[in-house]
This record gives sequence, C-alpha cells and structure tokens, in this order.
Amino acid sequence: MSAVLRAQDLHTYYGKSHILHGVSIEVAEGELVTLLGRNGAGKTTTLRSLVGLTPARQGRVELFGHDTTHWPAHKISRLGVGYVPEGRKIFSNLTVLENLSVPVSRPGRWTIERIFELFPNLGERRSSWGRQLSGGEQEMLAIARALLINPKLLLLDEPSQGLAPLLVREVFRTISSMRKEGISILLVEQNARFGLDVADRVYVMNDGEVVHSGCARELAQDEEQVRAFAGAESRAAVG
Amino acid sequence: MELVLFDGFNGLIQGAFYALMALGLSLIISLNSVINFAHGGFMVVGAYLAFALAPYLGFWGALIAGPVLTGILGILVERFLVRYLYARPDPVYSLLLTFGLALIIEDSVRSVWGAGGVPFAIPSWLDSPVSETYFFITGYRVFVMSAITLAAGALFAFLRLSRFGVRIRAGILDLETVAALGVNVYLLRAVNFAIGIALAGFAGVLAAGVLQLSPTMGNDVIMATFVAIVVGGIGSLFGSVLGGLLIGLAAGVTSAYYPVASDVVIYVIMAIVLIVRPRGLLGQEGLFE
Repeated sequence: MSAVLRAQDLHTYYGKSHILHGVSIEVAEGELVTLLGRNGAGKTTTLRSLVGLTPARQGRVELFGHDTTHWPAHKISRLGVGYVPEGRKIFSNLTVLENLSVPVSRPGRWTIERIFELFPNLGERRSSWGRQLSGGEQEMLAIARALLINPKLLLLDEPSQGLAPLLVREVFRTISSMRKEGISILLVEQNARFGLDVADRVYVMNDGEVVHSGCARELAQDEEQVRAFAGAESRAAVG
Repeated sequence: MELVLFDGFNGLIQGAFYALMALGLSLIISLNSVINFAHGGFMVVGAYLAFALAPYLGFWGALIAGPVLTGILGILVERFLVRYLYARPDPVYSLLLTFGLALIIEDSVRSVWGAGGVPFAIPSWLDSPVSETYFFITGYRVFVMSAITLAAGALFAFLRLSRFGVRIRAGILDLETVAALGVNVYLLRAVNFAIGIALAGFAGVLAAGVLQLSPTMGNDVIMATFVAIVVGGIGSLFGSVLGGLLIGLAAGVTSAYYPVASDVVIYVIMAIVLIVRPRGLLGQEGLFE
C-alpha cells in the first residue's frame, strides 16, 4: 500500500516556543491511524502542521506525493484532505445549512442530501443556528462539513471530547463507516480505549516527539504500556 | 416644528452616509482585521472620480464607475499594502499604514484637483423639491436615501444568500477553519476589502451631489463613522447601520435646538453607550444573529 501521508522530521514552533521536535508519521491508503498522547503532547500541533495552519519550520510533509510543507491550508484541503478541528469549530453565527455551504466541495459522492441521510438530526435542524446545536450535533456537523470536501484523507482532532459515552460510540461508528468507504484516517484521541479499538496502527506522542509506534491491537493488550504512554486520563477508560 | 423636521431630515441623510461608511468599515475591521483610517480617503477618491468621469459618462455612468474604480483601487491597496498586515496582529501597524495612506490620498487629490472645492452637477430633475411645504426634501435627497437603502439591502442579501457571502460571515468568526475547508482566504479577504472600499466610493459619489467636493471632505465623516461603529457594536453590521442613523439623527435634531452642540452630541452618545452598554447597542450579537 502506498502512503497518502508521509511527514518526516517535523519541527513546528508557536512564535519562539518549539513545540514539535522531529515528528515523523505515515498513513497508508485505506489505513486508520490513531495518534495518542497526553494534553500538550503536540498532537493538535501535528495535525495543524499537516493541514497548513501552522506550517513546520523544518521537515517535510508529503500528501498524495506532493510536497505540501509550505502550501496554504486551502490548497492542501483541495487535494482531498478533510479536517475536523479540536473543539469542532463550527460556525455558530451560521445556520446548519450555511455551515455546510462553506467547504469547497471536490467532485464525489458526498452531497448535502447524502449528509442529511447519514445524519438525519442535521437535516431536521438545517435552519437552526450553529450555536443552538448540542455537543453531539456540533460534532456531527463538523464531520459532515469535512466530508463535503469528499476527502481521500480525513484528520480528526479529538472527536469524542466532551461527549456522553453513548454519543462517543456513535461518533466512532461513523468514523469506522468512513473508513469502509475507503477514506484514510488520522485520528487524534485522548480516549485510548476507543482510539485503539478502531485503529490499525498507533503513534504515541509525548513532549513533541513520537515515543512509540506500532500495531494498535498489540498496544491495546498491553495495559501497563498504555497507562505509561497515554497518561492518567486514559486509566479509567482502559482499566 | 418645521425647523425640527428640516434638521431631523438633514440629520437622517447625514446618518445614512455614516451608516454606509460604517458598513464598509465594519466589514474590513471584522474580516481583514484592519482599522482602516483611510476609509474617508477612499470616499473622497470615489467623489472625485465621479466628478472627473461625469463629463464623459454622465451622472448615472459616474455613479456606477466611481465606486467600481474605487473598489479596484481597494484591491490594489489590499494586495500590495494591507496584505502584509495580516501577519502582524498588533493594531499599531494597521493604524500607521492606513493613517499614512489617508494623508497620501488627501494630498494626491489636492495635487490633481486643487485644494478648493469643486461643484458636482446632478440631473436637474432630481434637484427640485418634491413638495412645496417641505422644500428641504429635494428629489436628490430622496434618491440618496433610496440608493443607500438599496446598497445596504444588496450587501445584506449578498452576505445571507450567496455562498461567497456566507464564507465571508464564516471567516469573520474563524478564518483558519474556513481556510482548512478549502476556501482561498486570500481571495476572500481581497474581495471583502474591495467591497468595503467600493461602499465608501459609493458614499463619496452620493455625497458629491449634496456637499461641495473638497480634498478634506472625508475627515469629517471618518470620525463619525468610527463613532457609529462603536455605538452600534463592533462586529455587528446591523449595529453599524443603526449607529450611523442614530448619531446622524441626533446631530440633526440637536442643531435645531442647540446648534453649537451638534458636533459634540455624537461623542456624548458614544460615551453614554460605552458606560451603559460597553459592547455597543448590537455588539456581541454578531452578524445576523
């Protein structure tokens, strides 16, 4: 399988603070890769470097064979990279339907009609303001918005954050079904159990570095190591 | 009573100009994050362009060409000057740049067309009063009010109904996420800046028919425009319109009763609003909420 995403030795800064210290990550076609780590490990910064929002100062990002390290975000998106940011970042001042008309769609199977079939709640609330939606609906809207790009690669930043367990399961079902559609996925998670359940491979980050990479199933069986890597937050989830 | 009506109507016209200027300025502040002190300068450019073009294109041609050319100038200014401010969030840079730009525009106009005022002819059928009792309501003034209402309505429709307009509103809230969804935010900001500047140009052409043209005619308007935005609430386009009309009307009515206070009353209103409701009348509500 060929790599859709290959990031090599990324060094990313916010102003003068050095956040990523040589991060290397690969996602193969059709693969679901999870990025685990504690708060502040650099997971979000890694995603931001990949989508062009905080470009790496050193290193190289390759997407679908293009060197996109210094490309502007919109150009990267138009290659077929969908991004669901941390905290959803839906447009609270727009209606649901307006939110869905912001992305620049590439030709493909995902249309607003199909989105409303998959997420009937959003269809019913199409005229509601973004800020009137519940947390779960906001998450679905953020995923729907990224799907309308018709992505070949989907990057999700903590889609389970702040959701009730039932909703978390629904979100992960949706992610699994995206994957069955042939979309490659890079998933950032703090919830180690869910993150490992759905993934093929896993990277664990700490202090801006990748400290472990390997098969998700193997890591899932090694509870001691999950605790050591993913920190206190995941203890309850794993144990 | 008639004097109050007279001054009130004058104030309303003045307020409509403030509202139109404040709309454009508000768009630019919100999406381009630039406090544009040259906004009054662009109004002057629009007015003088109309004056220069009217002999060739007639009044109606100049009314269209003036704002369009001002908007094109806006695109150039955004591309070669303002764009470099985006990476510098410190407002001092944008103040320095646009204040300098305002001075450059004023002196350029002065060196081309002279320091004195020049007359701008409007069609004679628009120049006569629509009623004998209310002699101050000329056809042109009714026309100005309608044109400004139409321009504001068109802007709101554009922002509500067109995909580009929806993206501008989304970008005002969160430009990064808009970019990550594939929208070329450089183009979005350039067009937004041009729209704001074209509105200033349009205000200039309309004002040319009411006031005498002079290189400094933008200076009086720009301060009132900022007051309108603060009163209406920064970030709210409806607030800008409301703030503009309110302070225009207040200045007009005050000049009927106590003329010397008519300049100062808008600042008094601003101070009261800032004390009672610091976010402005419609602030925080955001766009169209």
